[in-house]
Parts: sequence; structure tokens; C-alpha cells
Amino acid sequence: MTTPAKPSTGEPIAIGQIGVARGEGILRTFVGSCVAMVLYSKRHRATGMAHVMLPAAEGRTAPPGKYADTAVAETLRRLVTLVGDDDLACTAKLIGGATMFTFQSGTPIGDQNVLALETILGNLGIRIVGRVCGGSHGRRVAVDVATGTVTVETTEHGSETL
Amino acid sequence: MTGQSHDTVKDAFHRGARDGSAALAKWLGRPVTLSVDRLETLPIDSAAAVLGSGDEAVCSCAMGISGAVGGLLLLAAEDGAALSLADTLLDHPVGTATEWGELERSALIETANIVGCAYLNALCAILAPENAVGIIPSPPVFLRDFPAAVMEAVLMQQPLLGDTVLLANSEFRIFGTLFRCSLVFVPDAAGLQPHAHQSDRSEPLS
Repeated sequence: MTTPAKPSTGEPIAIGQIGVARGEGILRTFVGSCVAMVLYSKRHRATGMAHVMLPAAEGRTAPPGKYADTAVAETLRRLVTLVGDDDLACTAKLIGGATMFTFQSGTPIGDQNVLALETILGNLGIRIVGRVCGGSHGRRVAVDVATGTVTVETTEHGSETL
Repeated sequence: MTGQSHDTVKDAFHRGARDGSAALAKWLGRPVTLSVDRLETLPIDSAAAVLGSGDEAVCSCAMGISGAVGGLLLLAAEDGAALSLADTLLDHPVGTATEWGELERSALIETANIVGCAYLNALCAILAPENAVGIIPSPPVFLRDFPAAVMEAVLMQQPLLGDTVLLANSEFRIFGTLFRCSLVFVPDAAGLQPHAHQSDRSEPLS
């Protein structure tokens, strides 16, 4: 995903990609087991969103948005570059982490993704102010760049706003 | 994928279509032609959009696979097409079903079971003929959701093992009526490593 200088209302942010925007506009994506991590800086009216697929990069480098650990760092880096200030004072919202198929044993990957992001964000002192995670269905996610308001919609399970 | 490997996989899908047609015709008691008109191998990062990136729900059945060939098989179609297929499978006039009730879901799941097993047996016979374990498919799981979310869930089953997805665009013809659907096979590394490697090839099946 490119880092749009202007707000993006175009294609959804794909698996492993990151989008950032400032001012106004909408960032959107679809998630199932992946997690949409939204970072919002009220101070700068700037929003970043990463479409995280796996909990840890374990040495892999690209694309950084694919893994929880590298996605957080890269989203913050892009936001800092976008606003020109490394004091973002941002908050976070997490959406996704569903278990849509149960063919494999062990902790579902969606749960692992959410847990990894919670841990990383907690270690950085970034407060998670909203979350809609788990379940067994996909979610359509749209973030208002200016306000950080997140709209979460599903095909059969209603919608909600964070 | 090398040309030889691609041909091997293509042979397997042809055989799967032939066997699936026969099995489905026997189940329905009506002429059925199942064909695969295109086989693509896509990088995993761009595979999420193969069912579409829009807001309209798709209907799908997924089967997990283990044994000689591992991975996941998904049969998916646009909601309207899948409901029409369900009507036909249930011997109802097309347009009867307007939502997914238990009966419609069961019809689609059974179809996925029959067709999926035909493909999997063909894949196993051609890709791992000496393997005594064979393949062990899970019962199909019905899933109706946003297309990107469905594909993401499919890809998440194999994210650490493989980097490619095999996509076969398929058609059902039942009593001459055409139903388009997508057949997606996400192999694990062990099952198709010699066959589905370093590939972004797309080729019509003929």
C-alpha cells in the first residue's frame, strides 16, 4: 500500500498493507481472521491503518504491514513522516481476529493476532480505546480520517461504531 | 510453475472435473457438466481479491485437507448464482430461494462435498500416486460473507507454508443451465511443492 499524501477513499487496504492519511477522507478494508489496526492522532487529525495477517515477522521483512510487530512500527513511522512530528499522542482501535474456519487445532490465528497487537501497543503506551474482535464472520471497516471514528459492518451480524 | 508442473496440475483438474461431473450427475439424476476453463497460480498477497473486492456477499463452502496433499479447497459463487444453483439442486424453479435457509445450505454443502472430493481424489492420484495415506478432507463448512474476508480466511489457513494459491474458474451446467463459480485450492508446502512453485502463470484449460 502506498502512503497517500491525500486521504484515500479508493481501494481497500489489502492484506499486509498500510495506509495513512491526514485531514479528511476514509480508509477502509475488509478483515476476517486478520486484524485492522487503526492508529489515530487527534492532535494531527491523522489516521493510519494496517491490515495485519500474522502475529510476528520472525525475521521476515516485507511487507511490514503483514506482521503485528512490524506493522505497528511501520504505521507509526509513516504517520510521523506524514505529519512531521514524532509526538503523535495516538490511540488505537482493533477490529477483526475472527475464527471463520476451524480446520486447525491450537489457538486460532485471529486470537494470536489480537493478543500480539495488544501486547505491542501496551508496551508502547498506546491506549486501545475501541475493539470489535473475535466471532466467526468477516467485517467491513471504514475509518473517518479526521475523527478516527470507525464503522464496522457485517453481512449478517449488524454494524457498530467505535 | 514449470510448464511440466503446470500440465500435471492441469491434468489433475481436468480429471477432477470429469469425475466431479459424473458424481454430481449420479447424485442429481440429471446431466451435469462441470468444467474448469482457467487455471491460475497467484501470489498469496494478490490472491485475496480473486473472489472480488466489492461489498456484495459471496457464498462458499470450504474443505480442509490433510494427508498426502494438504491445504484447503473452496467452492465459491456470487450470492445470486449460488442461490440459483441451490434451487436447481433442490429441483425448485430458479428464483424460488431468496435467502439461505437450512435446505439451501445443505444442498450447497453436499455439492461441495461431492465435487470437492472428486477434485481431491484426482489431485491425489496424479500428484501423490504412491502415497498410501491418501487425502483426508474435512466436512465442508458453509460461509457467506464479504468476498475479501472469505479469501482472507482461506489464505490464513496456510500463511506460513505456501506463497501461492491455485485458482480454477469453474462452470456447472445442469440440464444445460450455466452456473459460474470459483474453485480455489490453497496447497500447503508439502503437498504441491514440486508442482506449485515460483509461479504466476495463468493459462486457459483446454
